[in-house]
Amino acid sequence: MSKFLEYVPGNSLLHHMNPVAKLIGAILFALACFMTGNLILLAALLAVGLVLAASCHMMRQTAGLMKAVLAFSVILAAILIFTTPTGTPLVALPWGYIGTGSVLAAAATIVRLEAAAIPLFLVFYVTKMSDLSNSVVKVLHVPYKYAFTFTSAVHFIPVFMNDMKGIMEAQTTRGVEFDRGGFMNKLRLMVPLCVPLLVSSVRKTDSAAIAAEVRGFELRTRTSGYKEYPFAPADVMALVICCALVAVGVVL
Amino acid sequence: MIELKDFSFRYREGSEPVLKDVNLIIPDGSFVGITGAAGSGKSTLTYALNGIIPHCYPGDYYGSVTVNGKDVLETSLIDLSRMVGSVCQDIDSQFVSPAVEDEMLYGLENFGVPREEVEPRIDEALTSMGIADLRDRMIDSLSGGQKQKVAIASILELKPEVLVLDEPTAELDPASSLNVFKLLSRYASEHGTTVVVVEQKIALLAEFASLLVVIDQGKIRYADSPAAVLTHSDELLELGVNCPRSTTLSNRLRRAGLYRGPACRNVAEAADAVMEMLS
Repeated sequence: MSKFLEYVPGNSLLHHMNPVAKLIGAILFALACFMTGNLILLAALLAVGLVLAASCHMMRQTAGLMKAVLAFSVILAAILIFTTPTGTPLVALPWGYIGTGSVLAAAATIVRLEAAAIPLFLVFYVTKMSDLSNSVVKVLHVPYKYAFTFTSAVHFIPVFMNDMKGIMEAQTTRGVEFDRGGFMNKLRLMVPLCVPLLVSSVRKTDSAAIAAEVRGFELRTRTSGYKEYPFAPADVMALVICCALVAVGVVL
Repeated sequence: MIELKDFSFRYREGSEPVLKDVNLIIPDGSFVGITGAAGSGKSTLTYALNGIIPHCYPGDYYGSVTVNGKDVLETSLIDLSRMVGSVCQDIDSQFVSPAVEDEMLYGLENFGVPREEVEPRIDEALTSMGIADLRDRMIDSLSGGQKQKVAIASILELKPEVLVLDEPTAELDPASSLNVFKLLSRYASEHGTTVVVVEQKIALLAEFASLLVVIDQGKIRYADSPAAVLTHSDELLELGVNCPRSTTLSNRLRRAGLYRGPACRNVAEAADAVMEMLS
């Protein structure tokens, strides 16, 4: 996985599933995670997510995601621990206490965010962006221009990152020291570079818009897509299971 | 046929016209090379042919441009796009999909090409550019030359009557550049497509173009067969257009009264000329 939201080819069940079924399934899965506070169920959902990741041969990439989510969720967990005095008191605080309930709630938050993120992450990496956008246009009747805007934005993120890298390298050759003075210094030096980046970004998006227009963008309708996205029994089954998970999440 | 009559254009934000009183006739099926120094108005000329001017870039528009009898000013960009296929200078901006196959489908889907024609058209376009094996690849994994061929193939499949390319070999090495021109030339002659290509590598244009146009400061300085235009190598050098050394050699020999043939376009022709002279 070298680039942001770049398709990872494979032959897993997830790779072959209908893009819409995958997307809705992942959303339902995340919903189930947010519906329940039961740590055991959340751990089970996390395990399912990891099994899915393993089936797609994306454990390494998923580990990277989990690390990023952990950094964010630990902050939320810390806030929860210090602000929700529930359960048997463990540590006394000037404004209350840390209880067993606080610890469980914090743990549930971490597991919940990890479990909810993995299927969504997998969907975006095991589905070609064009299939995702074409299927939501065709099946969910999302206007094409919105789907195109999303895919274009994703398409241009690595392009702009490369441009920024190029600009920084050019500045480095002219004596600007980005690697000295810590993060704040780097940020201070990068701010002025946003202007040339913005100029080049506007030029590129302008060229892209014109290129799309001369290739008939305006003529595109919901039925224009060549590929069909029929639902297979596995897609229906997956959606039923995800709905059931939401129901279980609500109950528990 | 493409015809420009007294055509001038000034971009809305510009102070001076970029093109001034351009008169040019491009016959059907011709392979036209446009060259000139940077900022001479070459790209603007291509925008005038494919309708990007005035439909996307407004400004002061004088004279007329007609493509196969249709006035560019009065024809919608969509209708022009059905006739004129365009390959941009920045091909990375042209790509809308991460995969070659999806990129090939994009134009066909938009223009509503019948389902049964889609596969044959993709196959033919990829094969004609010699990249049938790249169909399942991701665009980011391709080399510059392969990307260029995909960009051209994604336009060829739309079967345009006119193909406009803006510096298609800008980022390619000499061998890949020659390959792209060979493939383009073969496709154009097989399908009767008119090709208008902006290019800095004049040796390539001299080799493949039937009409060579040299632009200087928005005006056409030369529009003739490559052999005729290349006889003005000294004047071209002053305009910022560097002729092949074989051309310069044959022109010098002609001035010295030693050679009477046409301007040589490549080393082989120069060698023949020298051999003929010596014999």
